Amino acid sequence: MNLPRWIPSEDGEEAALLRELGIASTEELFADVPRKARMGRLGVGAGLDERGVVETIDGILEKNRPYTQFASFLGGRFPTRYVPAAVDAILSRSEFYTSYTPYQPEASQGILQSLFEFQSLWVELTGMDAANASLYDGATAAGEALLLSRRIHPGERFLIPASLPWEEKSVLANYGGPHGVRLEEIPFDHRTGCLDLGAFRTAVLKGDVFGALVDLPNGFGGLDEGLPELKGILGEVPLTVVADPLALTVLEAPGSWGADIVVGEGQGFGATPSFGGPLLGLFACRRAHLRLSPGRIVGATQDRDGRRAFTLTLQTREQHIRRSRATSNICTNQSLLALAFLTYASTVGPRGLAQLAAQLHARAEELATALRAVPGLKVPRFDAPHLADVPVEVAHGTATEFLERLRGRKVLGGVPLADPRPAKSGDASKWFLASATEWTDARSIAKYAAAAETSAGATS
Amino acid sequence: MTFRQARWDEPLLWEIRPPAETPAPPAAIPGIPEKLRRQTGVRWPELSEPEVVRHYTRLSQMNFGIDTSIYPLGSCTMKYNPKVSEVLARRPGAAFVHPYQPESTVQGSLEIIYRLEKALTRVTGLPEVSLQPAAGAHGEYAALLMIRAYFEERGELSRRTEVLLPDTAHGTNPASAAMAGFTAREIPSKDGCVDLAELKAAVSDKTAAFMLTNPNTAGLFESEILGIAETVHGAGGLLYYDGANLNAILGVTNPGKMGFDVAHLNLHKTFATPHGGGGPGAGVLAAGATLAPYLPVPRVVRKGRAYSLDYDRPKSIGKIKSAYGNFGLDLRAYVFLISHGEEGLRAISQRAVLNANYLGHRLGDLLPRPFRPLVKHEFVLSGTPLKARGLRTLDLAKRLLDEGVHAPTIYFPSLVDESLMFEVPETESKRELDELAAAFRRAIGDTEENLHAAPCSTSVARIDEVLAAKQLLLSWKDLRSPPATAPAPPTRSGP
Repeated sequence: MNLPRWIPSEDGEEAALLRELGIASTEELFADVPRKARMGRLGVGAGLDERGVVETIDGILEKNRPYTQFASFLGGRFPTRYVPAAVDAILSRSEFYTSYTPYQPEASQGILQSLFEFQSLWVELTGMDAANASLYDGATAAGEALLLSRRIHPGERFLIPASLPWEEKSVLANYGGPHGVRLEEIPFDHRTGCLDLGAFRTAVLKGDVFGALVDLPNGFGGLDEGLPELKGILGEVPLTVVADPLALTVLEAPGSWGADIVVGEGQGFGATPSFGGPLLGLFACRRAHLRLSPGRIVGATQDRDGRRAFTLTLQTREQHIRRSRATSNICTNQSLLALAFLTYASTVGPRGLAQLAAQLHARAEELATALRAVPGLKVPRFDAPHLADVPVEVAHGTATEFLERLRGRKVLGGVPLADPRPAKSGDASKWFLASATEWTDARSIAKYAAAAETSAGATS
Repeated sequence: MTFRQARWDEPLLWEIRPPAETPAPPAAIPGIPEKLRRQTGVRWPELSEPEVVRHYTRLSQMNFGIDTSIYPLGSCTMKYNPKVSEVLARRPGAAFVHPYQPESTVQGSLEIIYRLEKALTRVTGLPEVSLQPAAGAHGEYAALLMIRAYFEERGELSRRTEVLLPDTAHGTNPASAAMAGFTAREIPSKDGCVDLAELKAAVSDKTAAFMLTNPNTAGLFESEILGIAETVHGAGGLLYYDGANLNAILGVTNPGKMGFDVAHLNLHKTFATPHGGGGPGAGVLAAGATLAPYLPVPRVVRKGRAYSLDYDRPKSIGKIKSAYGNFGLDLRAYVFLISHGEEGLRAISQRAVLNANYLGHRLGDLLPRPFRPLVKHEFVLSGTPLKARGLRTLDLAKRLLDEGVHAPTIYFPSLVDESLMFEVPETESKRELDELAAAFRRAIGDTEENLHAAPCSTSVARIDEVLAAKQLLLSWKDLRSPPATAPAPPTRSGP
């Protein structure tokens, strides 16, 4: 039997432990497991040595075609960005990545100060009063925002844009459903893709609304100029904004135009897409609502000698103390991703981030111009200003079919917008988001346009 | 005592090179509406890469990790995180794959998910697995949503409003039950285990589910599990397995054999994916035939040699997060699983349980053990006798830090006064356990004065947590201009 060297197996070690306990074999330690509950073999095969494991995993991963092998325009809520080597060097410090939730703050100042800095950065970007130390992803952060809104304001209806990505709608339905929350979709203007403000106002006036959520950019990649007017319509009803962190380096902080809660997806700052996980949920709110808010929070304090120190605080909101009356069930969150977010932003710096936003915008414009000339594509499908993402409609067939044909020409043309569940797709089956990336240049755009020419008209 | 943690006077990033009070706005981007444009730049320091790397390297030196010291945190399964997993998770074929690429380009990722799911059906004895939940508590929540959907379909939801759980349950259990719209009701334990008579008296046609971890948080195996299952099922309820403590039973028993209908597993515990300073985790769901149709979409399916994402599950609860789960961790867990194989997985639990019993035996003469001595992967001590010396469990935990080892979980489970909960997984050697026992002996034998003064070898001394909650300084902004309600922030006065 060849066990991994991760289990100590020095000769006689196990025997010494057994001897000390005065028993003959480890089987005696399982005498309390009833015979009828015993299992047979696991049936998972024999273990492999490290070389064999590497060969096996590499053999499977070879069947993937990473987006780096294509002219790739994938993005939307999950951007594909270059991650500076310094970020991974810091994340690879095993004092960070092999530690856990800092229950012993004196021995965990490294991660605590880092999380404090992470909270500080999200506060600066959003213009909010306070941030937590992370949630699972942007969608679950939106779900927690819904629950916080419900604690802040009475009512049963929660307003969301009809353009919100389908996954986020589904997650919101799962967070609100058990509490009798009704999600109400506000339609979008068919030309701009922006929220129909008249419909929004009507929905609010009907009453019984406890919160509203909007996104920036929206599900079509659009920057909606109407958002700063929403708080005036909502009054006391809390407004949640789902915001992209890179967009916030060039756009006004939502806190300054009425947001009560700002959430977002942080994967684009320092984490590779890794097939969709791990991701990073960003969450910030107003100080008045802090005690009702979810998640771990790090605060500054001092030690016995008067030195500045950091610790988890407001823990009386949390599950390990408050149990069924906790503000959330969050225990493990996404700390290491928060560290990635922070070290990415530090390494790139504020000028670099704003330049990146400007650069992606310029390339998205070039991309839109090139694709507009392709027969069979409507570009942009919605004409609100956009940052890096361009909404496209295909005239023939579905977006997914079109994107698969592009794939055959070494182009990953974008992310389909339709809900892939049967009978759920509707109009959106013809729409996708094409995103500019740091790799987008004149050559890759030309390649995309050429591939689209031959793919857009085809019906097969 | 030879341990000294690094003690850098490390400023906040903003203090290294403070940004302007009102930084200039970023250059206008043509086409971006003026109404939305940032009027002042983000207050965020402009630093060089070496400055950033030094800052975080120094901070890392002020952090305990499994790689620096034994980390006997009960219920957290702090085992060694294999390095080969870190290398493989960073392969371009794993990292540079977008969740919404065409299926034909992600066959490798889908195969990893499929293989891991299949292997975990073996481990759990339950026929279907979904990797979507991001953490254990998230898995609990998803499972309770599935239970809701199940009873809703049967027309029993308006009646089945209660989720029962033992008073030893992890705090996440009642919190998840409440989030899922149920009333959490705690059942008192007897000698650290579920009191079957109390459970029998508590179940009714209001019972939606009973949530249980086995072995439980006192480290004890619930030997009456089959009777528990019969009782819950007899009342028409479902049985939920909190897999936080699975490390104790691999290859011995499984949730399916014990009669559970649904389970979550923590890949960051049993399957050694790094805890990351508090996450990411992965809270895999396993479901029996009753609940499998309700698992989140998509499901990964295989037709011939091709894998695809199946969204055609009409009874599914839908999505509980974006994409398909924490793939980077799934890959690491799969590496761990195939490295061990059949014999290795069995060896994990044999050794983890042996380690816990050995350490419990070594420490049992220093503090009382409130329950029977035969434990599984963890054990609980009571710090009650410390009170006579004017001390608390907290003091002992802080004093242990001075020995260069992490403290156990303290004040949980709460039914034990002044509790300490130790878990020493299979990756700890006898030498490490003996050193931990010796450290514990030195700590408890130290003077009251020293215990009160501890820790003194960590990067900061005993922290004032009450002050943190009172002043609520939660960001650099708060430190610069404290909110109205807060007293003045602490000033730096390090050596």
